[in-house]
Order: sequence, then C-alpha cells, then structure tokens
Amino acid sequence: MGPSVTAPAKLRLDGVAKRFPVAGGPDTVAVEAFSLDVRQGEFLVIVGPSGCGKTTVLNVLAGLDSPTSGTVAIDDRLITAPGPDRGVMFQEYALFPWQTVWGNVEFGLRYGPAGDGLEPEARTQRVRRTIDLVGLAGSENKYPHQLSGGMRQRAALARLIANEPEVLLMDEPLAALDAQTRIILQDELLRIWGQDRPPADRRTVVFITHAIDEAVFLADRVAVMTAHPGRLKTVVDIPLSRPRGDATRALPEFQALTQHIWSLIRDEAYRAAVA
Amino acid sequence: MTATLALRDDTWWRQAGIGLLLPIALLIVWQLVGTAFGTVRTPLPTNIVKAAGVMIASGDLPEALLQSLGRVFGGFLLAATIAIPLGLLMGYSRAVERNLDPVVETFRPIAAIAILPLAILWLGTGTSAAVAIVAYAAFFPLIVNTVAGAKNVNPTLLRAAATMGLDRMATIRTVVIPAALPSIGVGLRIGMGVGWTAIVAAELAVGAKAGGGGSGGIGQMMFVFYAYSIELNRIIVCMVAVGLVALVLDRILRAMMRKLMPWALP
Repeated sequence: MGPSVTAPAKLRLDGVAKRFPVAGGPDTVAVEAFSLDVRQGEFLVIVGPSGCGKTTVLNVLAGLDSPTSGTVAIDDRLITAPGPDRGVMFQEYALFPWQTVWGNVEFGLRYGPAGDGLEPEARTQRVRRTIDLVGLAGSENKYPHQLSGGMRQRAALARLIANEPEVLLMDEPLAALDAQTRIILQDELLRIWGQDRPPADRRTVVFITHAIDEAVFLADRVAVMTAHPGRLKTVVDIPLSRPRGDATRALPEFQALTQHIWSLIRDEAYRAAVA
Repeated sequence: MTATLALRDDTWWRQAGIGLLLPIALLIVWQLVGTAFGTVRTPLPTNIVKAAGVMIASGDLPEALLQSLGRVFGGFLLAATIAIPLGLLMGYSRAVERNLDPVVETFRPIAAIAILPLAILWLGTGTSAAVAIVAYAAFFPLIVNTVAGAKNVNPTLLRAAATMGLDRMATIRTVVIPAALPSIGVGLRIGMGVGWTAIVAAELAVGAKAGGGGSGGIGQMMFVFYAYSIELNRIIVCMVAVGLVALVLDRILRAMMRKLMPWALP
C-alpha cells in the first residue's frame, strides 16, 4: 500500500559522510557512506541504537549540518542551507517561550517566507485550522511553560504543519511522552500526514525514533542504522495496509516485523547498553 | 482548621507586619538610647519625622527629588539607547564582541564618581554633567547583561528559525531580542539602581547652588545641610528619601517587566 517503487525520489542522500573534528585525536565519524532515496509522499522512519548518527542524517537533510563528503538533494537540487521547503520538528520541542501557542504556530507564516502572499485573514484561518487539527483548541493563549509535555508536542507539530513544508523532518518527536499520549499522537500523526488520502496527496516524512514498534506502526519503510560508524544497515519494507490503527498493533505481521527489526540491531544495542 | 490558618498566614498585612517588626523595634531603641545619652545634635526618630514634615511642606524635598529623578531618567535613557543595541550586536556577533569587549572591560572598573572631574571640566556644574555621570554608571550593567542575554539564546531556537527560512534581521528581531529580554530587564534594574546611587554622589559636587533650595537635586541638598547648616535630621531625611525612591523605582520596573514578559517570570 506504500508509494509505488517507481515514485520519484523526493530526497536523495548519496554517499553522505559526516566527521566531527576532535581536539588532539582522530575525527569522530558520525555517519559514513550513507546512500538512500526517500520517495515522494513516503513515510520513512530511521531507527538505530544511540549514537548511530540518526540525528546527523536528519540535520544534513535539514541543511543545518553540511556533509563532510557526499551530497544531499531535494528534487535533484543540492541542499546547502535550511529552507522552508523542509520543516523540522526538534526533539526538545524548540517552542519559543515568549510566544503563545497561537504565536508559535503562526511564527513561520508571519516572519518567514512560508507566509509570503498569504493574506492576514487566510493566515489566521490556517493557524485556527491547524490548532484545531492537533487538538489544542482552547489553549491558544497559553505559553509553552503552561502546557503539559504532550501539549507542547502538539504545539510543535502544529507549528511544523502550519508552514506546509513539502518535507517533514522529525527527530524523535514523541520520545519524551508517556506511553498513552504517545500512542494517541502516533494515530494523530498518521491522520495529519494523510494516511486516508491517496499516496500522491501525502507529504514526505523522515521520522527518527529509537522505538521499533513506533517505527513499524508509522512507516512505509524503516531504514535501520548501525553505530560506530553510523551506517545504513538495511531498509525494511512495511507492507501493513493503511489506514492503520489499534487493530494494526495487534496483527501478527506487526509483531513479526518488530521482531525482525529488533533482531537486526539487537547485538549492537546490547553492546551499546553495556558499553 | 489548618487550611484557615495557612490562609491567614499568607495575608499581605500579616506579612508586611512581620517585616515591619524589626525596624519598629530598632526605632524605639534608637529613640530611647538617643534621649537618654545623646546631645542636642543627636538625631532622633521623632525629630527626623518633624524635619521631614517641614521639608515636604515647604516643597524643597519633592523639588530636589524631582530634579534628581529627571537627571537619572535622562542618563538612564541615554545609557539604554546606546548599551542595548550595542549589547545585542556584541552578543550576536563574535567579531563585534572581540573588538568591543576589551574597551568595555577597561572602563567598567572605573567608578562613575572618578569621571566627575572630567565631567565638570567639559560639561560644567549643571544638569548635563550629572546626566553624563548617571549614563556612565548605568551603561555597564546594561551592556554586560544585554550581551549575556543575546549570547545565551538557546541555539535550538535559532535553528528552528533557520528551518523556517527567517533571514538574519528577522531572526534578531523575533528570536534574539525576545530571548535576551529577561537579561536586559535585569540590566535595566541594576542600571537604574546604580544610576540613582551615582546621582547622589554626583550632585554633591555638581549642580551647586549655595544657599539650599531643591533645584540642585537631592545630593546637593544633602551637601548644603552638611556644609552650611549641619542639620543631621535633614540629612537623614534625605537618606531615607533616596532609599524609598529607589525601592519604588525598582518595584515599578519589576511590574513593567512582569507585564511585558508574562512568560519569563512567575
């Protein structure tokens, strides 16, 4: 049910390596020889043990880091800087503490190019709609410090999608949440992404997590990384039908896929845990 | 029962009452000891209150305070106008900071009162010299705190702005300045305090107007009481007035900041 294999590459990582200099020692290799195409409308999830360079890959796609070697492109244009075509949801929420929920969601439309050509009235409508969509109606005038973790996450998600970027880059956006909130937001994330719509109408998502069940539930494909240095080990297709929901989580196929991916990173995860 | 008690403990008049207990006790001791062992010249709380009444009724004290306040506001605004933009620039740009920081840090330890001779020589013994000294004193806490605020912007917020395509000017306006505001607020409070401290010192020499009256400012007024008439009670009235005005100024600034930055303070 995922996008067909012939769908064009929206994002292309080609031989990407990222090394960080270390004072008085050899460079730290965060990512090495990473090549991957992300298809238009695809929900791609990257999993891997801590320190495997997942976040580095995302930052390179965002244009926040430049690769030491290799290239990264969107629609065959080289990525050299951040741009409003690629929205990022950061692990630490990154909400502006001096803005209310409304101000945060409106931020990119008001001060960035995402709002160019948008009448103030249309902007207000879009902010309204987005806040309703993530279930924050009634909390528009609250500041981030007045929100629970789950509400902050929703506000960050609303800010991301209000800008309507072509590509959504999400760095462990649900990691800080309790188990119940997490399941609810997984469901909502798929709804907002457009799992009920035909694949052509969906945005492209690159989503990082260390939770394998979350990866299997959300993804069209799961990219499995290994650490030291960070490499792409394999890409696993997730052929579970959409729309997905609670029933999906109970499927034997769901369990099997989760087990399979766990078996791919188990040895390394153990090594990382005792190291 | 306990809930009622807890509520009572929190009433403002009760808290204020506890806060006033020690000062009142000290005043009583002062009055008793002064009456028993003092000379004619020993200032007593009762005489100080009487002196304050006279000085307020004559209009001299309010006039002096207003004169000094005007100078403090003038110097404070001058300092803020220069220090805040400069501090933001220094905090945001490493290159600007590297060039200006040694200059700022060289002048910072030089007390405001030490530039008094230059201020008098260049600007005379009037308001402009007093304003310059206040501006000099308030400048350093303002710039140091502004730089710190602009430097300590959460880098993830800057990255978030970058991913939304904001250019440099928009980022400064919408991220760096609001993030630095609480620090700037601290700078404003400290700057106002040292400005008020500096004006009293400066007016001891500047704003000379022999014979008294209020137009020389509160510092000059104290100097006149000291040098020409040796009126200890009136000098103490001036000291208390300086302290109370500082308290009120700080409370006003804090209230303004709470209003302006509802996200930053509880």
